[in-house]
Amino acid sequence: MTLEDWYRQDRLPHIYCAGCGNGTILNCTLRAVNELGLDRDKTTFVSGIGCSSRAAGYTSSDSLHTTHGRALPFATGVKLVKPENNVIVFTGDGDLSAIGGNHFIHACRRNIDLTVVCMNNSIYGMTGGQGSPCTPYGAITTTTPYGMHEMPFDLCAVAEAAGANYVARWTSFHVKELTAAIRAGIETPGLSFIEVMAQCPTSFGSKNKMKQVSQMIDMFRTNAVLKGKADRDAAAGIPLAPGKFVVGELVRRSNPVLGGRP
Amino acid sequence: MTDKIEFLNGNTACAEGAIAAGCRFFAGYPITPSTEVAERMAARLPKVGGTFIQMEDELASMAAIIGGAWAGARTMTATSGPGFSLMMENIGYAAMTETPCVVVNVQRGGPSTGQPTMAAQGDMMQARFGSHGDYSIIALSPSSVQEMFDLTVKAFNLADRFRTPVFLMADETIGHMREKVVLRDNVEITPRRELSTGDLPCQPDVEGVPGFGTFGNGHGVHITGLTHDERGYPATDSAALHESLVRRQVGKIENFRNEIADVDIVNPDAEIVFISYGAPTRAVQQLLADYPGVYGHLNLRIVWPFPDAKLSEFHAVKAFVVPEMNLGQIAREVRMHTNVPVVTAPKLGGALHTVDELKHAADVAETATGTFTEVLL
Amino acid sequence: MKLVINERRCKGCNLCTQVCPYRIFQEGRRPGPRGYVIPVLDHPERCTNCRLQIMYGRQLCGMCQMTCPDQAISWVEEKPYEAHKVVIEY
Repeated sequence: MTLEDWYRQDRLPHIYCAGCGNGTILNCTLRAVNELGLDRDKTTFVSGIGCSSRAAGYTSSDSLHTTHGRALPFATGVKLVKPENNVIVFTGDGDLSAIGGNHFIHACRRNIDLTVVCMNNSIYGMTGGQGSPCTPYGAITTTTPYGMHEMPFDLCAVAEAAGANYVARWTSFHVKELTAAIRAGIETPGLSFIEVMAQCPTSFGSKNKMKQVSQMIDMFRTNAVLKGKADRDAAAGIPLAPGKFVVGELVRRSNPVLGGRP
Repeated sequence: MTDKIEFLNGNTACAEGAIAAGCRFFAGYPITPSTEVAERMAARLPKVGGTFIQMEDELASMAAIIGGAWAGARTMTATSGPGFSLMMENIGYAAMTETPCVVVNVQRGGPSTGQPTMAAQGDMMQARFGSHGDYSIIALSPSSVQEMFDLTVKAFNLADRFRTPVFLMADETIGHMREKVVLRDNVEITPRRELSTGDLPCQPDVEGVPGFGTFGNGHGVHITGLTHDERGYPATDSAALHESLVRRQVGKIENFRNEIADVDIVNPDAEIVFISYGAPTRAVQQLLADYPGVYGHLNLRIVWPFPDAKLSEFHAVKAFVVPEMNLGQIAREVRMHTNVPVVTAPKLGGALHTVDELKHAADVAETATGTFTEVLL
Repeated sequence: MKLVINERRCKGCNLCTQVCPYRIFQEGRRPGPRGYVIPVLDHPERCTNCRLQIMYGRQLCGMCQMTCPDQAISWVEEKPYEAHKVVIEY
């Protein structure tokens, strides 16, 4: 089985816009499962609704494209009936934290053995660019034309507080580290949450002075602070500068797991 | 192995029926009056090698049982009115993806929080039309504890045969009453037809039902709630494709509505005929026992798809009387399929119809002339 | 090995141009068959994978392939160099 076999070739080219971060994240996820040598029949992809969730339709294994925000309980049902399967969930920032918020915290609390890849492009892309709970303060979207006046979620902090076993954050620029993080997430029993900051040049970038794809990638490259450096700064009393975010493996622990492989 | 005879309440008998039918995954959320189903499944499933999980809400429960069905198990959930409303989006998803699963709705007084501990039948139309779009489902209505056991087994078999969510529309009275029930050991199980290699995941057979591509069996299926072609891939642009998909999904059940009909026909020569389902059936049966040979009775055990052909078995009918614990939801359906006057006899609030009230409704029906008359009981 | 950009998949986002550590790409000028401007290989000799995949037996670098959102980049075996007869008229 090669990397190419993991893609549903008759569905490519996909519907994503030019330069969309979701395509990159799909590449990294499939590369991770390929490197681990997973059996395609024992791997299931579950997704919600949105640009992020279309990714499940481009994998060649069994995939379940469900309703908006409900990918996690569908995945819970699949995992509990077939615990020997690796279940990987594709979801987006709005799908996971807005309509799916309740399911998110309970899946983390239950620590069910899933791997959740959240493609956080800080916007509702599929429906045309509305604000989401992860849109940064002050950003322009179609439903926040005067700037977002609500504070965004820190999804990794929510996952950590709710009890997930593995929490990591990367961006669609850090492809090698992201692949390694997804590998680690699949191998770690319990809920593995990998948040990936992705670029949406069509909706987010074009309204927030980053029309070029390269501008958003540069923004990720400059604003991502590696965990080691962030920890050193915090120990020395230097706060995280506004606009910057921490990337890396944030949490790895071994709380009791539901539905682990027998 | 022998049958066991026990004295159980309806909800418990329903859970036992599910176990006997091979249900091995239950995801639920507690709600009066259906909680006993979940509690019994929580106790019994680990002992038979199944899994129970209490989810965070009813939407998650419905989602989990759909996921579990695709992983290969027979799955079930139980709820009541408010939870049923929450499940509607995912019920539509189960209808569109043709996922077999069983949803038990132990109806209570509605709308909204209503009367949590009183019986009602107010969700019958919602069972058929609750989710958006055009689809069809199967709904059964038990009227005794033994039927709670038997019809649950039947629900699983129908779900697998037609690849549809099947609803068991009980009510608080049947759910909580205790009666003698025979827990049959050897129940008939007709499993779902697995997808054959070489067939497409959404390619129907002669009855309009595609083979089921269980996850992990090498099919590599993609299941989506979007309109899809026979490969299962989203194809939302074609009007013709969408129409053919929806018509097939509705037709696969509606075309068999009279073949799968499960009814009791008593006194087919009668002029005044009672049509009932669920708890009011018990009152009608008592009326027929008190006044033998006078009235006819059509007891519906499968309410949806509505078995319209069975109405013509009553060739001498002058009027139909439909006693229900709602404001005439199935009486409306009866009116659509007959020319004789239909008398609706609603009773809200939780108490069952009495024999005197039914007699009064029958007397009104004797002289009814309008197509749809309501009897105030 | 030779790096090939699938012109039916590439949408001209130029992420490969931006992320390649060896800067082997350059933004193209002519549109491809779908109307997108495909990046061109400005310095293919610098591509680590092109030069060394066969020798090491595994893929090296691969940043462009992993990053490409359209799965448009792949490597193919280069046809071995064939001797040609050249006739010079002067």
